[in-house]
Amino acid sequence: MEVIQNLERNQKSFQNEKAVNVVSIQNVRVRYTRDAPLVLDIERLDIHKGERVAVIGQSGAGKTTLLRLINGYVSPESGLIKIFEYSNDIRVARNRNLRLRIGLIFQHFNLIDRATVFENVLWGRLGIVNPFLSLLGWFPDRDKIAAMRAIKEVNLEKQAGQRTDTLSGGQLQRVAIARVLAQEAEIILADEPVSNLDPSLADDILGLLGEVSNRHGVTLIMNLHQPALAQRYAERVIGLRHGKIIYDNEASLLNPIALRSIFDSGINTSQVFSSNV
Amino acid sequence: MYKKNLPVEGGIQGFDYPRPRLIDSMWRAGGILFLVILIAWAWSGTDFDIKKLLNSMPRMADFFSRLVPPDMTVAKTVFVSTGETVQIAVFGTFISAIASFFLGLFAAENISPLWISQPIKWFLAVLRGIPVILLALMFVSTVGLGPFPGVLAIAFHSTGMLGKFYAEAIENARSGPLEALDSAGANLWQRVRFGILTQVGPDLARDTLFRFELNLRESLVLGLVGAGGIGFYILLYIRAFQYEKVATLTVVVLLMVVIVEQISVAIRRRLR
Repeated sequence: MEVIQNLERNQKSFQNEKAVNVVSIQNVRVRYTRDAPLVLDIERLDIHKGERVAVIGQSGAGKTTLLRLINGYVSPESGLIKIFEYSNDIRVARNRNLRLRIGLIFQHFNLIDRATVFENVLWGRLGIVNPFLSLLGWFPDRDKIAAMRAIKEVNLEKQAGQRTDTLSGGQLQRVAIARVLAQEAEIILADEPVSNLDPSLADDILGLLGEVSNRHGVTLIMNLHQPALAQRYAERVIGLRHGKIIYDNEASLLNPIALRSIFDSGINTSQVFSSNV
Repeated sequence: MYKKNLPVEGGIQGFDYPRPRLIDSMWRAGGILFLVILIAWAWSGTDFDIKKLLNSMPRMADFFSRLVPPDMTVAKTVFVSTGETVQIAVFGTFISAIASFFLGLFAAENISPLWISQPIKWFLAVLRGIPVILLALMFVSTVGLGPFPGVLAIAFHSTGMLGKFYAEAIENARSGPLEALDSAGANLWQRVRFGILTQVGPDLARDTLFRFELNLRESLVLGLVGAGGIGFYILLYIRAFQYEKVATLTVVVLLMVVIVEQISVAIRRRLR
């Protein structure tokens, strides 16, 4: 009951703000095949420019599907989606201009192992540069400068010429962050960005993502497994369960009751909050 | 092939452990029996006779004695025709690599839909199935004698294999980096260039070098049907019983094959 009240309070607070929405989802339902069960069933979700949002929930709750819906890799069977000024189209995914404005950070980094840090970051600008010249390996100086600036921002200048298969997990995720910075993405979608990292590196990476979001006014939406991290590094937490949003509130208000309802009682909330801020 | 959770009576010192199932043991025994029968059948049909081989040793020695000393007066002809053989192999492999890249790309199931990839795979299988000597004969009769039909025969034949290898290499490329490039706004050709080629480039280069070695050996016999290269002289000297000249040819061919193979192995080792 408290969760529901929280949700109602929260929806009021988030919807009444006069902030610019970069993501707007209304009555969206997603299923992977016609006869399959719903994987996402969202009545209303607005995300504002510059917000840092963590999406939490059990495996299979629909977290990744939500991110894939926002970047257009998944099409809804019904409902309205608006990303920036592009509204409700299943063809959203194929819109190159829109894709450019949404950067993705993956659990497995998804870098090209044989390429250097610099090349991986520079290729984040493939949507910006002239396609034909890029195929010939020619990138204008301004793009190379943008790539180096992004590399510097994640403190990897010394490794710029190194192949990424020689880097550690934390460094790899830094390269991935630099790639979306070089892309000049306005929304960063991070799908379990720290699942493959040890706790100290997880803090390091999420701290960096937070800094990047603050510095550039980038909207950050990240899927996280650990509620403690969500509370520490996000302003707002969205709890998904069976594809529905059952919690949507300020991160500081996340409480054991909400956690139990999001995680189906299968979570030790004392542990979550003991490691908390 | 072990059955999971198989209850074992006794076990070893009280420890339970999985045991192979009877059906798996029978399959293994059946496989071995089949192999034995297959080899016996092949032996019986080929008149393979150790005794006959041992009895032919004096005649073999006589043959080899006629090869020495190699006749070096044909050295120039041999080097020129060997060069032509290498040219056929190099240019045939080059054409084949280009054709294979595009065919391999469209035959790869992670790039093309099944209705495109499958027919291309069948086409490549057909190309692989035609013997190179048959292709050479066909091209000699259509475009005339010389190295040109040799290049065509090598190019067509090796595309069958190289296209398949390229397609498999492309299919093995990790999809994650491609998704990352796609999300950065890269178009299809940019994804191929930066996502696929960067990942599988060394595999493609290794396959190409390996195919080049094979092409070089196959180019040796093309001359037998008038498709250029050293094969023509091998046939000519053997028919004229000029074994000293055959010896010169053999030494040069051996040298060429060994050198090319060593270079190729060294390059392949460096590709990673």
